[in-house]
Amino acid sequence: MPLGILIALVVGGIIGIALLTRALGFGDECRLTSESAARAAFLREFPEVEIHAVTRCADCRAALMETSRGPAIVWAMGADTTARLLGQARLTETETGLDIHLPDITAPRIRLRLSPEERRAWTQLIGFRA
Amino acid sequence: MIADPTYPDVVQLAVPAFIALILIELFWIALRHRGGRYETRDAVTSLLMGAGNVASGIALGFVAWGFFMLLWTITPFDLGTAWWVVALCFVLDDLRYYWVHRFGHRIRWVWASHVNHHSSQHYNLTTALRQTWTGAFTFMMIVRAPLILMGFHPAMVLFVGGLNLIYQFWIHTEAIGRLPRWFEAVMNTPSHHRVHHGRNPRYLDANYAGVFIVWDKMFGTYVPELDEERVDYGLVHNLGTFNPLRVAFHEWIGLLRDVFQPGLTLRQRLAYAFAPPGWSHDDSRDTSAAIKEKHLARHPEDRGTPGFS
Repeated sequence: MPLGILIALVVGGIIGIALLTRALGFGDECRLTSESAARAAFLREFPEVEIHAVTRCADCRAALMETSRGPAIVWAMGADTTARLLGQARLTETETGLDIHLPDITAPRIRLRLSPEERRAWTQLIGFRA
Repeated sequence: MIADPTYPDVVQLAVPAFIALILIELFWIALRHRGGRYETRDAVTSLLMGAGNVASGIALGFVAWGFFMLLWTITPFDLGTAWWVVALCFVLDDLRYYWVHRFGHRIRWVWASHVNHHSSQHYNLTTALRQTWTGAFTFMMIVRAPLILMGFHPAMVLFVGGLNLIYQFWIHTEAIGRLPRWFEAVMNTPSHHRVHHGRNPRYLDANYAGVFIVWDKMFGTYVPELDEERVDYGLVHNLGTFNPLRVAFHEWIGLLRDVFQPGLTLRQRLAYAFAPPGWSHDDSRDTSAAIKEKHLARHPEDRGTPGFS
């Protein structure tokens, strides 16, 4: 197959499928709509860690955990979730909330949308900031 | 002198079919509200990984081709190009695929390349295209050497490898349940391959087959999909990024950081590169064997059941 046609097919295919998935409603993010949903999402990644307390953010896209291994977070990754322990986290405030920076190439920055009150509470719960 | 045989680049030719089948699956899921899930950013990442895989093949393919042609000049054997030779080559290459794939899950150096294929939490036809950009760095091309030394022409070996890859495309779907028993017994199917993409302790390190599931049954790595345990797709610790560069290179960077950290013995450095994924010198991480053992400690009733025997 000529390279020009291959490139056109690949580029057109990616753009077309991206637009179609959006149009068909497959672009929505996961929402942690209850404490039990947040717990289940966290335990899916860390089944052996004991959860002491859960604080969900108002937009339901993340939840902070107080656990037997220190502060931790579960957050929306597209339609799914992932989770990390926050022992080595560094925080920076943003206009819309908080950025959590981790020394982890697979999750270097977690961007959270938080109200000023939530931001204060989360900063205190995570324990330290930059 | 007999001219070298030529075969089409079947993977490139299949690209329009890949796109068409993705569209069919996408509309099927949208209309029926079952048979799988799609998510925009996940799908785009998978497709970009596929495009990068084709690009890296074009850029680095000469390394493998040069190696294979060197072997071809050395070998005294030439099995020719009869149809049965191609068929035999296809079967033996699938055995080659089984072992390369098994190495890809059991040797961190190879896993660093293969991990990206498992990094989606979805299981749809775009996941099939979430392929490595760094396959050439694993040197797994060496596993094809016996085929060429036996007298299968390098062009034929690459041709059947392409057919193998195309076969594996359609099994990355939840839209197909189980197929007739005779087919499930011999061939790799969506059901068998869903298990392979599972992060459930039960399903880790199972079903490495490309085309014929019989290899897993022969070598003791077959685990059936159980109705009572739905497959949870993705990695043991799922990625927190859709960035294709991070998806492609994260495990290589992690591996290099581990290997070059201060204070390790040479044996420990080698183990970080070549031991199973999850190995660590201080037991701070879990291999798949440890994950299974910990699961059994929490769920002793699962001992002896598929995936835990």
